Amino acid sequence: MGKYILKRLLWMIVIILGTSFIIFTILYFTPGDPARLIAGGNATAEDVENLRHIMGLDKSYIQQLGEYFSDTFLHFDLGTSWVYNKPVVDEMLVRLPRTVIIGLSAMVLNLALGLLMGIFAATHEGKWQDSLTMGIAMVFISCPDFWVALMLILLFSAKLGWLPAYGIGGPQYYVMPIICSALGGIAVNARQTRASMLGVFREDYITTARAKGQREKKVVFRHMLPNALMPIITSIGAGFARIVAGSAVIESVFSVPGIGLYLLTAINSRDYPVVRSCVLFFAVFTSVSMLIVDLVYAFVDPRIKAQYSSVRKGGQKK
Amino acid sequence: MSEKKEKFLSVRDLEVVYTSRKKIVQAVNKVSFDLHKGETLALVGETGAGKTTIAKAILGILPNPPSKVLGGEIQMEGEDLLRLPEEKMLEIRGKKIAMIFQDPMTALNPLMTVGEQIMEGLMLHNPYDKKQAEEKAKEMLEMVGIPAERWVEYPFEFSGGMKQRVVIAMALACNPLLLLADEPTTALDVTIQAQVLDLIKELKDKYETSMILITHDLGVVAETSDKVAVVYAGKIIEYGDKKDIFLHPSHPYTQGLFASLPSMNAGEKRLRPIPGTLPDPTALPKGCAFAPRCPKATQECMGEIPNVKLGPDHSCCCCHLKQEG
Repeated sequence: MGKYILKRLLWMIVIILGTSFIIFTILYFTPGDPARLIAGGNATAEDVENLRHIMGLDKSYIQQLGEYFSDTFLHFDLGTSWVYNKPVVDEMLVRLPRTVIIGLSAMVLNLALGLLMGIFAATHEGKWQDSLTMGIAMVFISCPDFWVALMLILLFSAKLGWLPAYGIGGPQYYVMPIICSALGGIAVNARQTRASMLGVFREDYITTARAKGQREKKVVFRHMLPNALMPIITSIGAGFARIVAGSAVIESVFSVPGIGLYLLTAINSRDYPVVRSCVLFFAVFTSVSMLIVDLVYAFVDPRIKAQYSSVRKGGQKK
Repeated sequence: MSEKKEKFLSVRDLEVVYTSRKKIVQAVNKVSFDLHKGETLALVGETGAGKTTIAKAILGILPNPPSKVLGGEIQMEGEDLLRLPEEKMLEIRGKKIAMIFQDPMTALNPLMTVGEQIMEGLMLHNPYDKKQAEEKAKEMLEMVGIPAERWVEYPFEFSGGMKQRVVIAMALACNPLLLLADEPTTALDVTIQAQVLDLIKELKDKYETSMILITHDLGVVAETSDKVAVVYAGKIIEYGDKKDIFLHPSHPYTQGLFASLPSMNAGEKRLRPIPGTLPDPTALPKGCAFAPRCPKATQECMGEIPNVKLGPDHSCCCCHLKQEG
């Protein structure tokens, strides 16, 4: 197991280096000159050229790439924002908790509500409760999150005045962003849970459990749910990626100064060090959550755990 | 000898249907039989004849929907199992009646250790704490020939025959009065089959358990059972002592079953199957369900089919017997 984790961590380094390389290259070859944009409309050609020299943009591709890699991965320096002239790390550390809080809470909400709705629908298969729950899920999936965000703001901020419409502060500021990030995922999880619950419904071991005289509720939670969980865990990994990617939208609608919004403004103003650092963060975040998902697999399913261990045994033989 | 034994289970006019896409499948059609204490009844018939449905109806684990018990009664120890409230049935399932399932590969929960799965039933029906249940589970494993220390292992770490032993241990853990064995050896190798059958027989004798054995293997019937009921299209078409059935098969279907067994002496090159297949259970033919495949079929077979008594314990549903007997 330990060897498996080590192997995965090594892979993660490869993935992160690869992502950094790709994002750097794309930004390098993107048309448009960041120096001209930052210097402003009134700057002379000489000023721009000066700025290009200061920003290091006049060096060759290979030179720039080398400097970026050595700064980032050898000195752990993410650079300085071209627009704000402040170290990127400082800014990210301030913004990070907001994005992570929204992302994780949305994920927890996703799972809790999604699982409950799915189990409820599956145990009432074909009845009106099933149709109702799946109908609600359908509505959740169909509504774009930015639209839901605007409607929530209209209702709870403009009309009722219960929640602040934008910005960040106490817990009340987080309520609407979390709900918006979670909605789509709740629906996906609910549908996934229902489908895989129905998949194990007619398995022989479920009949075995009933034949033992086990109560229906325990049959559902002890025998069906753990077996139905595997595809759901897979969708959790994808759900994490979706929530992180969606943070740009949610944060800009609610004006939450998090990583997503940081990335969005940086892209608009060609603030490459910020763009690169934010994408790097998303890559790390996603690969770590994928690793956790795979470890949860092993925890839930002894067969997969045995596979991981046999990987280790194979390694020892060599 | 058999007259002295008390009647233990009595099934009367059991009728079960499945509904699928607005069609009604007559799975079990007015089935009646009795079972005495310590006796083994074999339900014989081809796939889809309704054998498993009878067993599941007795245990009350037919999935509803799609299946539904339309009528009849199942008397055990003075109680009608079909009319017992679910709470009471929970106490009977696994304790008084236990079931061994057909396919050991899928009958065990892949995410629980075999020990946990045996303990589950034990703790439901006995006032054991965890430690005691664990001890008992290990004891059961030893009894079916699996080393006790393997109780922490998962089903995927066992072979097919071993898994079936675990299933048997699970079924016998609470010393049931009635064991429903649904093709317990069909999924196993021939070499393991004999072992598993011997094991079931041995344990059955030890605990004086009655058993309903579902099979389509006449060899298994000969080896293990006292009474035989031949099931065709949801009906018992012939019922009797093992001797009666094996020596004097009376229904054309039963005769066909025996004729289709390859004989070692005759040096036959080809098997002799019963031509045709089971009738469409959504539209059973009028009168005798076997008539379309029966070599002796006449106009008479379309009418009411009598249940002819051929001996003290031997009966058969066929209209041709009336004339002969």
